[in-house]
Amino acid sequence: MKVPIDLTVNGERYELEVEPRETLVELLRERLHLTGTKEGCGTGDCGTCIVLVEGVPVNSCLVLAVDIKGRQVLTIEGLAGEGGLHPLQESFLEKGAVQCGFCTPAMLMSGKALLDRVPGAGEEEIKSALSGVLCRCGSYKKIVEAVKAAGEKMGGKR
Amino acid sequence: MKRLRPFRYFEAGTVSEAVGILTREGVGAHPLAGGTDLLVRMKRGDLAPGALVNLKRIPGLGGIEREPGGGIRVGALAVISAIEHSPLVRTSYPVLAEAAGVLGSPSIRNLGTLGGNIGRASPASDMAPSLLILRARMLVEGPQGKREVEVREFFKGPGETVLSSGELITSFLLPDMAPGSGAVYERIGRREGMDCALVGVAALVTLSGKDHGVKDAGVALAAVAPVPLRAKRAEQVLLSGSLTEERMKEAARAAAAECFPISDMRASGSYRQEMVQVLTYRALARALRLAEGGKA
Amino acid sequence: METRYVGKSVIRVDGLEKVTGRAVYGVDVELPGMLYGAVVRSPYAHARIVDIDTSGAWKVAGVKAVVVGRDVPYTFGGQVKDQPFLAVERVRYVGEPVMAVAAETELAAQEAAERVRVTYEEMAAVFDPREALKESAPLLHPDFGDYWHVPLYEGVAGTNVCMVRRLLLGDVERGFAEADEIFEDEFYIHPVAHSPMETHAAVAQYFQPRDEYIIWSSTDRPYRLLKELVQALGVSLNQVRFISAYSGGGFGGKGAMVAEIIAVALAKFTKGRPVKVVCSREEELTASQTRHAAFMKLKTGVKKDGIFTARKADIIWDNGAYSSLGPDVGFRGVLTILGPYRIPHVELLSRLVYTNKEIGGAYRGFGTTQVTWACEVQMDMIAQKLRIDPLEIRLKNAYVDGDSYINGQILRTVGLKETLKKAGREIGWGQPKPAPRGSKFRGKGMATMLKPTATPTDSYCFIRVNHDASIVILSGAPEVGGGQKTVLSQIAADTIGVPLSSIVIPNPDTYYTPYDMAVASSRTTYHMGNAIRQAGQEVRQKILQLAGKSLETDPSRLNLSEGKIFDEGGRELITLQQLLNKIFGGRGGSILGEGHHSPAGSPLLAASPGQEAISSIFWMFGTHAAEVEVDIETGVVKVLKIAAAHDVGRAIHPALCEQQIEGAVVMGLSNTLFEEFKMEKGKILNDTLADYKLATTLDLPEIVTILVESYHEEGPFGAKGVGEPAAAPTAPAIANAIFDATGVRIRDLPITPEKLLAALKRKEQTEKLSQEEKAVRPG
Repeated sequence: MKVPIDLTVNGERYELEVEPRETLVELLRERLHLTGTKEGCGTGDCGTCIVLVEGVPVNSCLVLAVDIKGRQVLTIEGLAGEGGLHPLQESFLEKGAVQCGFCTPAMLMSGKALLDRVPGAGEEEIKSALSGVLCRCGSYKKIVEAVKAAGEKMGGKR
Repeated sequence: MKRLRPFRYFEAGTVSEAVGILTREGVGAHPLAGGTDLLVRMKRGDLAPGALVNLKRIPGLGGIEREPGGGIRVGALAVISAIEHSPLVRTSYPVLAEAAGVLGSPSIRNLGTLGGNIGRASPASDMAPSLLILRARMLVEGPQGKREVEVREFFKGPGETVLSSGELITSFLLPDMAPGSGAVYERIGRREGMDCALVGVAALVTLSGKDHGVKDAGVALAAVAPVPLRAKRAEQVLLSGSLTEERMKEAARAAAAECFPISDMRASGSYRQEMVQVLTYRALARALRLAEGGKA
Repeated sequence: METRYVGKSVIRVDGLEKVTGRAVYGVDVELPGMLYGAVVRSPYAHARIVDIDTSGAWKVAGVKAVVVGRDVPYTFGGQVKDQPFLAVERVRYVGEPVMAVAAETELAAQEAAERVRVTYEEMAAVFDPREALKESAPLLHPDFGDYWHVPLYEGVAGTNVCMVRRLLLGDVERGFAEADEIFEDEFYIHPVAHSPMETHAAVAQYFQPRDEYIIWSSTDRPYRLLKELVQALGVSLNQVRFISAYSGGGFGGKGAMVAEIIAVALAKFTKGRPVKVVCSREEELTASQTRHAAFMKLKTGVKKDGIFTARKADIIWDNGAYSSLGPDVGFRGVLTILGPYRIPHVELLSRLVYTNKEIGGAYRGFGTTQVTWACEVQMDMIAQKLRIDPLEIRLKNAYVDGDSYINGQILRTVGLKETLKKAGREIGWGQPKPAPRGSKFRGKGMATMLKPTATPTDSYCFIRVNHDASIVILSGAPEVGGGQKTVLSQIAADTIGVPLSSIVIPNPDTYYTPYDMAVASSRTTYHMGNAIRQAGQEVRQKILQLAGKSLETDPSRLNLSEGKIFDEGGRELITLQQLLNKIFGGRGGSILGEGHHSPAGSPLLAASPGQEAISSIFWMFGTHAAEVEVDIETGVVKVLKIAAAHDVGRAIHPALCEQQIEGAVVMGLSNTLFEEFKMEKGKILNDTLADYKLATTLDLPEIVTILVESYHEEGPFGAKGVGEPAAAPTAPAIANAIFDATGVRIRDLPITPEKLLAALKRKEQTEKLSQEEKAVRPG
């Protein structure tokens, strides 16, 4: 059974026919070949599949593609703008917040969702917002520092 | 990762349409709300519905609004994060926002719904204890029409509710909290974040304004019985006199005595029972401070 | 030598790819015509395979290959060749692969796998390695005596002992006789999962006409896997090609073939189409690799001033069902139970024992994590009994520069005491303890350790300067997250004298990159770094020679720096790009450098006759000091702060060193407080990350990293290593802090709230009883 959907990913519009059983992470990785979003567990427990749907972070392994009909999705591949890297991406590089990098896309997207809502987010808020993304390399300290620095760069002051 | 097996798919435009499809399809069909529980169970092979009925296109089920006669209505499809951040909930029912804020993880909270959480009837539901102490009611609609169910009558066993075939929760009604009330949610997991509750305790006290006299009390427990449950004897202890340290401790002991937690791979029954006592006392102490007008 | 990049925290060279989501990991590899694999796994811990009916699998549309053990009759195992590609006549652990399917989609492969019927005859199983040692225990490998094995690792045929090592140095009985106090204690450390965020994944393709295989993998040691696979298949090293993807974490677990073996087995039967096998998180947790659990008996003799006189250790390592890297873990790991302390008389017994469980493999620390648990908890017990401050007693026994190690090797660049003092100072050691707040009690504890690196091992590399002055480094060391590419680029840039931005270091490919032992044993900065220095110097000399010829000057009066040639006075003469353009004209060309480093033969390894094998080319030292707050009503431990001081020799990239240390602290905290396999009859019940709990941002303590630089004389720019040591001391530091806070001593991991609460109650009971006794019998 195929369901026609149209959706926008990183500003680009797609018209696709999907199966109801297809999850958003499968659609992104396998149909659109956007492999920056990862699937670390498939059960919503690791966060590596987090993307933004109209600015809201969700576990794309638990979202059916059919539920994204008419919606706008932002993945890691869409984070950098025309002018270059997003301040979060720059900050992660400057602060050394990347080790193996597998959780990095999810951390960046979660960080963006937070800073867009709470520009001057402090350490506790950052830790809370990122608490659903597991980093086995244990980069949490530098990741939190990087998000804080990006927030300051983006003009958020407390 | 594990792939979902194919299923037939329906999108309902109204509640009666959803009810109609579910009734027609029978046990092989399952309603789909946030999917954070259902899809996981399907991937693990614990559930294999032949058809899913997507409820999320039904308008009017996601709101959080004041009711004209008092209290608030929370739509069954309101997502947990909306409850967590709703200014209305945070001012009028902070315990509900508190519980919403510890459920799962931020991104899961953006998907999971209140109706899904309660409808799942997990004994460990983080949202149930607050609804119980707040005396919430639910509006339900099915092939026989609409009815109201009190949350405390809703749960029959783990994963079992009073809903009959084709019935859906449409909204939750919460009466106003009485002035002089304080309510909080305490829970313990295996780590700080992203965990199910090993034990959850919601406690409410309403002071009568004289020497810590108690006009109303509510204690509800999660994860220590086949259903989320009101600790009645603990409540009776609280209502029996003024709210002293000793009475709160006695209530905590009573709560521990009236639950029957199992031992599973997450924790032993005896640890859970002990934590009921510890958390109930802590919840009551915090609720008291709130009721007195301080901070929890 | 003045360095422009070494010593600085430059932006990671793989950083841009990773923050933009462009880095390709094993799970991301996509090839034309690719098929997907799924695995049927044993539900029993020990059973005979009676029958496999695969007919159901073929009924699923899109299935292209169905493979059972008989179809791929190979065994592998780099130390003991004991593991079949797919189980043949019996299964030895829950989750062992029995059958594999390749299909057009992953869904079809999974559906096909569900339709396979396997009939088993259950056999008695053994789960505790101490039980497995008994004569009555079920025998996992009755043919063990026939297996090929590396001669160094001796097992005992007819038993479940896969490897046994005995080491006797000095005279322990005399040592114990000289002691004022003897401590005999038992410790247990539990198995944990590596659980990298990227599960094991591989793609394999088979080219039948030449019996050739290509494998895409995110392993940390392509050459080791290459050797192991070649040995199993009976082909040459140039018939198998390992191409490395970025690794989404490994921590040692990707040092053995898990997904690769299945992919290769399937690829043989798919008529040349590549097959991708991605382990689900459930498979990752239950059927890949774990850290070896260990039962450790430690007997230590001490003088009343705290000085050690003798130590006897008996370690039983829980191997799981197959050897994998276990023999080496058991063989080398046992040595570090002596800690970084002078102990004149030593007796060690190390036994690696088969059990019907998930395979134990290389896990960050390679045995040191386990033995440090025992060593450092007992150290605190000794300190307590003798009433000596735990920091003091460690300082008393700690190695210093010039000390002899147990085999006679002279220890140099021993930054150990500095790590002890600095960690202690940072945590506020000795400061008065704050009063408890309600039910919350605070305490501090510390632990220290040393770790060798596998010696001797080899790293080879090539450096190629293109005719436009851009540079390619060919190194077989994969990027596993530790910043391997960055550190090696920094070393190359400073050695040759070129901008860092002119260097590219592609992922390894065994067709092009020469042999490297592994990214393991904290060895890459040192060994590959030295190989890079050698190749870099060759390339630099060639360039200066060419410059000298071109500029008609004596090359020894020229300097190459930041891609420019300068004269003695510092005047810029020509850029490297201009020089090469001049020399190669429109033709093109390469300037090549070759590097090989092995510490074999180094005078630093000299030891007592016959004992050189125990020497290490460098020793790493680290101390962690922890402050915890224990809620005595719930048993919940909150780690407030960890001060982690590590002697890294020289920090080539300080932030990367911090990353390793901070990361290992988080991992150690997680292992200690949250992680535990819940098992029933050999089956792991908590097979998802919902119930196998890893630390999140909310569990992050304050972490202060202190880098100590002791400058190794043969290390590149003085560097040693840093990847593993921080994995070991966190657990004992936390446990010792818990003792300081509550007086409760825990000797077996993990320290869960339940366990701690039960221990607190027992202590309360014991104290009550002894008070009552005192009351009844005054005086």
